[in-house]
Amino acid sequence: MLAGGAGAPSALAAQQPAPVDEFKPVGNNPAPEQIPAAPLLIGAYIVVLGGLFFYVVSLSRRLGAVRQDVERLETELKRRGRS
Amino acid sequence: MPKWFSPAAILCGLMFIVSPVLIARAPDESSMGMVYKIYYYHMPSAWMFLLAPLVCGVSSALFLARGREGDDRRAWAAAELTVLFGALTLITGPLWARRAWGTWWVWDARLTSSLVGWMIGWAYLILRRYGGPGSDKLAAGVALFGAVNVPFIFISVNYWRTIHPPTTVVPKLPVDMGIPLWFCVFAFLLLFVLLMTMRLRLEETRSRLDALYVALDE
Repeated sequence: MLAGGAGAPSALAAQQPAPVDEFKPVGNNPAPEQIPAAPLLIGAYIVVLGGLFFYVVSLSRRLGAVRQDVERLETELKRRGRS
Repeated sequence: MPKWFSPAAILCGLMFIVSPVLIARAPDESSMGMVYKIYYYHMPSAWMFLLAPLVCGVSSALFLARGREGDDRRAWAAAELTVLFGALTLITGPLWARRAWGTWWVWDARLTSSLVGWMIGWAYLILRRYGGPGSDKLAAGVALFGAVNVPFIFISVNYWRTIHPPTTVVPKLPVDMGIPLWFCVFAFLLLFVLLMTMRLRLEETRSRLDALYVALDE
């Protein structure tokens, strides 16, 4: 009984809410942030498709440039071989 | 290019044209609404972002062991795809997170290890571009760390406290969400194979060009 009695005030204290140090009226709280989903969704798809497109174009250009150099050098080698 | 390249490229293009239709018809998610549909491109990009450093790491290990140029070319091609798909993942993820988590970025295990993996890809490319003689082997060593990082990225959401969804999300997807996801995964996988093929062809052609310059000097 004594032990139960000694434990009761601490249990009661644990159940009590923390003291409030500021009063705020209802209705003056700032509105929660509304983040529109559509711009984020569309932006993500543009980033992916645009990024892949630019990479493919870049790769094609690099490949085309190197192939042109190869053709040029092969032509030059053939010309030197004939002369 | 190999004979299968053109038909595969056409198929891949068609899949990317059809994918937004499938994604639009998928249902919205109960807590995130339609913004979760970023997932249908974010997750396949992320899986390719994990595949690329594995290919780079294995090829680099073979290059260090055998010294064959083919392995080195494959590693270089895969490193470039690591940076590409890593960028797509690290941009689409925060766009989704801004709405789903209320923040662009958190320094949790998944996101941080992904950023590290992406930076390792950049380190490989910078080494190859500016490293001079011997940079092929140095970069191959760097690539091994990139490959070892991949399992950490994958399991991080299951073993560390993180806000990122765990790996159990995919097996539990309902059918009407799973169909567009796997369609996009196969489209991205096909694209990965096509881009690797093109990038490898670029390196092979560069090697041929170097040989022609040597022959011209003789």
